[in-house]
Amino acid sequence: MLKGIDLEINEGEFAVFVGPSGCGKSTLLRQISGLDRPSSGRIEIDGRDVTTVGAADRGPAMVFQSYALYPHMTVRDNLAFGLQNNKMPKAEIASRIAEAARMLEIGHLMDRRPAQLSGGQRQRVAIGRAIVRDPTAFLLDEPLSNLDAELRVSMRAELAALHARLKATMIYVTHDQVEAMTLADRIVVLRGGQIEQVATPMELFNRPANRFVAGFIGAPRMNFLSIDEAAALLPASALPAAAEMVGIRPQNLRPAESGMALTVDLAEALGTETVIHGHLASGTKMIVTRAGQLPAHPGELLHFTAEPGKLHVFDAEGVRIDF
Amino acid sequence: MLVFTLFVIVPLGINIAYSTTGGTDLFLPARSYVGGDNFGRLLSCADHLTPATCRDDLFWVAVWNTVRFVLLQVVVLVIVAMATALILNSKIRARGFWRAVFFFPVLLSPVVVGLIWKWIFQRQGLLNYVLFQFGADPVNWLNDRAWAFFASVGVSVWAHVGFYALILLAGLQAIPRDIYEAAELDRTSPARVFRRITLPLLWPNLLVVIVLALIRAVQVFDEVYVLTGGGPGTSTMYLTQYIYETGFASVLRNPGVASAASLLMGGVLVVLTLVQLGLTRWRDRK
Repeated sequence: MLKGIDLEINEGEFAVFVGPSGCGKSTLLRQISGLDRPSSGRIEIDGRDVTTVGAADRGPAMVFQSYALYPHMTVRDNLAFGLQNNKMPKAEIASRIAEAARMLEIGHLMDRRPAQLSGGQRQRVAIGRAIVRDPTAFLLDEPLSNLDAELRVSMRAELAALHARLKATMIYVTHDQVEAMTLADRIVVLRGGQIEQVATPMELFNRPANRFVAGFIGAPRMNFLSIDEAAALLPASALPAAAEMVGIRPQNLRPAESGMALTVDLAEALGTETVIHGHLASGTKMIVTRAGQLPAHPGELLHFTAEPGKLHVFDAEGVRIDF
Repeated sequence: MLVFTLFVIVPLGINIAYSTTGGTDLFLPARSYVGGDNFGRLLSCADHLTPATCRDDLFWVAVWNTVRFVLLQVVVLVIVAMATALILNSKIRARGFWRAVFFFPVLLSPVVVGLIWKWIFQRQGLLNYVLFQFGADPVNWLNDRAWAFFASVGVSVWAHVGFYALILLAGLQAIPRDIYEAAELDRTSPARVFRRITLPLLWPNLLVVIVLALIRAVQVFDEVYVLTGGGPGTSTMYLTQYIYETGFASVLRNPGVASAASLLMGGVLVVLTLVQLGLTRWRDRK
């Protein structure tokens, strides 16, 4: 169920829809593709109203989460099938397939069936099937979610390279904010069928429009404190009158002699950084990350201050207040 | 294993023993040993295509009736089951209700099936009543050789189609929906979707359905026996009825010949079953 979506995606842009499961990001993508129809509203592609146009006539190509390759066809036939349906000359089909195969390095897999391919190879074929159509845009529905962590990182880089090379519009759905941050020109954050914020990755990170976006983008997630709890970081008198909640990212707390007192529950030493889980006297849980190796032991009392200008302030509705 | 021995191995052995004996006595020790005579009697023909030239003409009438029945019934059954499964798999209203409706005849006893359709097809039956209301002349459905044959095929299709449609429906539902969505984005026409996607992906299920239907069709008996009694004449007398009547029901009952005939039929069924087993394994490997 989508509500009041008003969104424009620019030509050649890499747009990422991100949000928790059930937020409507896949629904929105499917409505753009034409596989689902909106109950009201309008969808335009290249200035043409396509709201009632069938999926095949809209122009964009889709890459499915499950890849949706035809299991009984070879890779070559999978790539050729849609082009044959459009009565494209054989020579043209062959040259497009050869070009896509070269680009994705799947030339040696042409006579295999999907069951004989690894997850990463299937993913390439699925992308290849979209590329050969020479679409107006690529719609990618969580394309990396079925891959293992290592492969996901390398495919992510390849997708970014592919976008730079094709200069095509790409709309990418994911629940993984790291994918969103690394790939996107602009990120669309959705929740409950509504858009929470549309912005570049850095703007989302530095100036989240509301408490939800602030908590969703960034890992570990932002700490939220009441005005009283935040007094050790910034006196209430320095905050805007409407302020109800103060947010501070784990990276923006620095150790100090005095300031906010945190009792350490757990310290995770990752080598390059240390993640300290702790709680305030009020019981509120906090996370602090510091570069390097910071000695901290459970039960120990540590003090932190906020880096200047890094506090985020929200009103009673959770909307950001600039100050 | 004890049950299997008691109810399968022992009867099979007794059946083989009967098939090598002659006479009308039912008590095995009272019967005389005749070796392969019963098989010889069944199989000796001047021309196997012309039952009248065979020593046991009725057996060959039943064989050819069964062959005709199997060929037509299996083809019609598979086509109807396929169409039914496709419809039941599409987004129709009250889908669960229709699925139950089409499966319902499978739950009926074959005798009930035969009686229902006899009531519809008989001379003063429902079908002729409806025809009469439209001003048409009544047809003697079950006393006409051709109509009785088609009626036997039709009724047996009606009685079994739900079962096969269910197998095909399960196969259709196992095909992921996003493959069809990919096909939609690939601008595939509905006919081409069926030919290039549905049919190849359903093929393993379809093969199993065809072989199972073949096996069941060769064994056809109860519903048709109740419907037509094999008539008119011998036009709907199939193999199982021949075996039953030769062994138990005719005036000159001949358990030896009946046993021999049932072994011959059993041989055909064993071959079909092996084919089915092989296909199932092939499907599971895929």
